[in-house]
Amino acid sequence: MGRLARVAILLLTFLPAPALAQLRSVELYAPRPFGHVIGDTLTLTAEIALDAPFVLDPASLPQPRALDYWLDLRDVRLSDHGIEAGVRRYTLDLVYQTFYAPLEPRRLDIPALALSAVDGTRRVPVQVPAWSFLMSPLREIVGTGPGQALALRPDLPPQPIPMVPAWRGLVAALTVALAALGVLAWQMGWGPFGWRRSRPFARAARAVTSLLAASTDVTSNAYRGALLALHRAFDSTAGKGVFAEDLPAFFAGHPPFGTAEAEVRRLFSASRRAFFGDDTAGALKELPPPELAALARRLRSIERSGA
Amino acid sequence: MNAGRLIILASSAILALSLAAAAWFGGRLVVDHRDNALIASLATGHDLAASPDDPAELRFARLFFLATRDRLDETQPLLNRLATDTDRRLAVAALYDMANARLRIAIDHLGSNRIDPAVPLVRLAKEGYRRALVLDPGFWDAKYNLDVAMRLVRDFPQIDVDGEEMPPEAAKRLWTDLPGLPKGLP
Repeated sequence: MGRLARVAILLLTFLPAPALAQLRSVELYAPRPFGHVIGDTLTLTAEIALDAPFVLDPASLPQPRALDYWLDLRDVRLSDHGIEAGVRRYTLDLVYQTFYAPLEPRRLDIPALALSAVDGTRRVPVQVPAWSFLMSPLREIVGTGPGQALALRPDLPPQPIPMVPAWRGLVAALTVALAALGVLAWQMGWGPFGWRRSRPFARAARAVTSLLAASTDVTSNAYRGALLALHRAFDSTAGKGVFAEDLPAFFAGHPPFGTAEAEVRRLFSASRRAFFGDDTAGALKELPPPELAALARRLRSIERSGA
Repeated sequence: MNAGRLIILASSAILALSLAAAAWFGGRLVVDHRDNALIASLATGHDLAASPDDPAELRFARLFFLATRDRLDETQPLLNRLATDTDRRLAVAALYDMANARLRIAIDHLGSNRIDPAVPLVRLAKEGYRRALVLDPGFWDAKYNLDVAMRLVRDFPQIDVDGEEMPPEAAKRLWTDLPGLPKGLP
């Protein structure tokens, strides 16, 4: 009899041994086991370690559902930490929500969870242990004042739509618009930026346009004034008087203006005729007013693009 | 393309975009201002129909208006839409206010001893509080009122078959505290 019992014990210890070897451990991390009230969520975390060829069968994971009339399983999250030293580790997060309304502190149980691990042919059970906790009541059993037992917490009144985000967005958009307008005006020489000393050709172009547009039939005076305005722009750009023979040095000092070299030479020869040869008509023929205005605009845009 | 032209193009594009954004924000301010005026007039007791396209705040204001005047049948379509809305805060508030309205009516029924119409209302209120708590588990007022509703229904175990949440001896202790129970014949 004693021998039989020993064999039975040996069998019992040997038979489950292979299954135990494949499941290393299941550790349950739970929140505090007391002081929970109706509607609370409880997150249980199970650390599961399996021997390497085994993986947790995803089909054995529970689906979020109502487990009992008072207990819901809200969320199931499984994260796989991979294999390390022949052991595969998982973290299983189980989020429960309790809707029990106790009259006095009461112990309740979250049932155990049966999962399984597979390695292709074999299947071993993995048991996440049960857990119990104390739930506390929210209210006294018998109200002290009349009608207090049925006094409800107040409604949530409707709130106006918050307007602050839209105001903030409007102010930000207008600020950006103002900044962009400033950059644009600076670059185009609009408004106060047009009188900047660093943009003599912008000023000259305005002078040329207004002089040539002032009279329908371009008088020699207006034409000469326009020529003079451009010459002053050349002078103040170079920092000294610029004459036809100084032009190569001017283009060497201000390379972007080199793209308009031919027109600039025409301008200088026309003004030589107008001022020194006293032949305004010839100058008008060599560089007609529309071309003079076009040249002024061209020089202004060359200057603007970073001369 | 040279640097100056690039700066002009970029700043013009930014100017156009920011002006468009400013116009959009300005339009939203005007619309929000109008909707806030409607919400305020609902709060002062003028009924206004709210269409499904209105912003959630306005639909919630209308729901609150109807729920606080016990017009629960008209409230249900509004609640169904708000409860599935992306704005979780308003969904919780709508579920909670609606459950409160049902529970208040149920308590009125119980006060005049009409138990049969009260029980389904309490059950619906419990359902509403539970859905609100699923969305926001830290909502204490919903917990409190759900507790009130739970005790109400459990106190009629012969009607509510799933009212086994409380041990019978506790129910007996609570019996005398209940409203709407016969206090004995005159």
